[in-house]
Amino acid sequence: MDWANKINKFLDTMSSEHYQKLLLTGLWTTVKIAILGLLIGIVIGTIIATVKVSPKYKLLPRILDKICTVYVAIFRGTPIAVQLLLAYYVLLPMMGVKGVPAVNVGIVVFGLNSGAYVSEIMRSGLNSVDVGQMEAGRSVGLGYGTTMLKIIIPQAIKNILPTIGNEFISLIKETSVLSFIAVSDLYVALIQHVAAVKYEWVIPYIVLALIYFVLVLIITLLIRILEKILAKNDRTKGKPKRKKQLVS
Amino acid sequence: MENANLLEIKNLTKSFGELNVLNGIDFTVMQGERIFVIGPSGSGKSTLLRCLNCMEDPTTGEIWFNGENLADLKVDINKHRRQIGMVFQQFNLFNNKTVLQNITLAPTYLRKKDQNKIKTANFFKKIANLFRKNKKELAPTISAKQITEEENERAMKLLKRIGLEDKANAYPSTLSGGQKQRIAIVRSLAMNPKVMLFDEPTSALDPEMVGEVLQLMKDVADEGMTMVVVTHEMGFAREAATRVLFMDEGLIKEDGTPEQVFDSPRDERLQEFLSKVL
Repeated sequence: MDWANKINKFLDTMSSEHYQKLLLTGLWTTVKIAILGLLIGIVIGTIIATVKVSPKYKLLPRILDKICTVYVAIFRGTPIAVQLLLAYYVLLPMMGVKGVPAVNVGIVVFGLNSGAYVSEIMRSGLNSVDVGQMEAGRSVGLGYGTTMLKIIIPQAIKNILPTIGNEFISLIKETSVLSFIAVSDLYVALIQHVAAVKYEWVIPYIVLALIYFVLVLIITLLIRILEKILAKNDRTKGKPKRKKQLVS
Repeated sequence: MENANLLEIKNLTKSFGELNVLNGIDFTVMQGERIFVIGPSGSGKSTLLRCLNCMEDPTTGEIWFNGENLADLKVDINKHRRQIGMVFQQFNLFNNKTVLQNITLAPTYLRKKDQNKIKTANFFKKIANLFRKNKKELAPTISAKQITEEENERAMKLLKRIGLEDKANAYPSTLSGGQKQRIAIVRSLAMNPKVMLFDEPTSALDPEMVGEVLQLMKDVADEGMTMVVVTHEMGFAREAATRVLFMDEGLIKEDGTPEQVFDSPRDERLQEFLSKVL
């Protein structure tokens, strides 16, 4: 393979401002959809998890529980690409809605999808918090919801942060299926636009992999930092690191 | 209001599935009484205590407090729980809150919530007043900021009282067991409860730290707080109690002053129990 030629071709294309802009917009679309999708997912997941762990003496929580079970089954049971296609080409036209940008559909579908996954992560997080915390909250007269919101969920989120990071990473990589509904994300920008100009795919694929890789590295770093911030009430805070002593 | 009935428990039973833990409990807690519940493990002491503020919903029976039956599921239990303090064996301080926030969280939040209700009511009154000849007076309100300041000040006073004001901004994980439990007691006190329930408050503590918690409990008792205490500290029960209940097999087997219960026990099981623990 003529690597120098290939790289030159790629750099040549990328020297055009038009393609640089295309790539950056694609990158931003990918990040935006992943972040907003995750945020929606966390909200939905938290609500579902709360419904799942709450006591079910009354009828309403029991009905909600069934609905949540069905929801999780549907969104975990079908591929996200199929969900995107169904939402964009079947559901929206069926409801007679027109002119919704594909990006927004992407955000919503990714949010709904990741909500199903986050709900299970969140449930394990909520279960990891000692029941005593809930009892203490209730004993001073706070309601179930208030105690959940102010005491249990913050502690649960701290516990599940590494797993949420996992979800975020897989989300950002999954966004490449957005090309199915013609969203110009990182993948589309690089492969369908940049690479197609010179009919040269090798370098764009490698660059694509590198960009995703760097993105994931950055996210990993950010989550580490967030973990440290949230660990402020941990016992290990402020403890000096144990230094290895030289044995002479 | 001396000798007023504060809590009235009538024919209380509690079962977990097949297991009957409480088999019909009747007793009354009077204002200012310090009731200590003793008994072997598995006798239902803790369950009884936890039923008093419906932490466990009673299976049958009635718990009368403030003229309402707490065992009735329709009663707004949160409203009553504000006036029933509870101290747990495992302290249960909110791990994600500082010591100060632990104390102020509930009173601040609940007072603000009440204020918001008053403000909403005032708003509608104001609108109605536009069309009224005889204007109705608006209820007095205080700002959210003022509530926060007041509660913080009160919490600091309480912390000063137990000598932990320098820990106000520390997180519970950095405290010793004794400190945690004293803060847990103060957290309950911050709600100005009518009665306080203690569920084996010293059982999870190092022997060294038991003293400081008992001292605080004594101080609280000396202020006239009504208390129901489940404990294994027989010495402390004898010293601080006005009344001792002995429980076994989900029933109150003996009920009397500490002298009666400890010095001349009538129940056979109680005699056996005391011979083992004293």
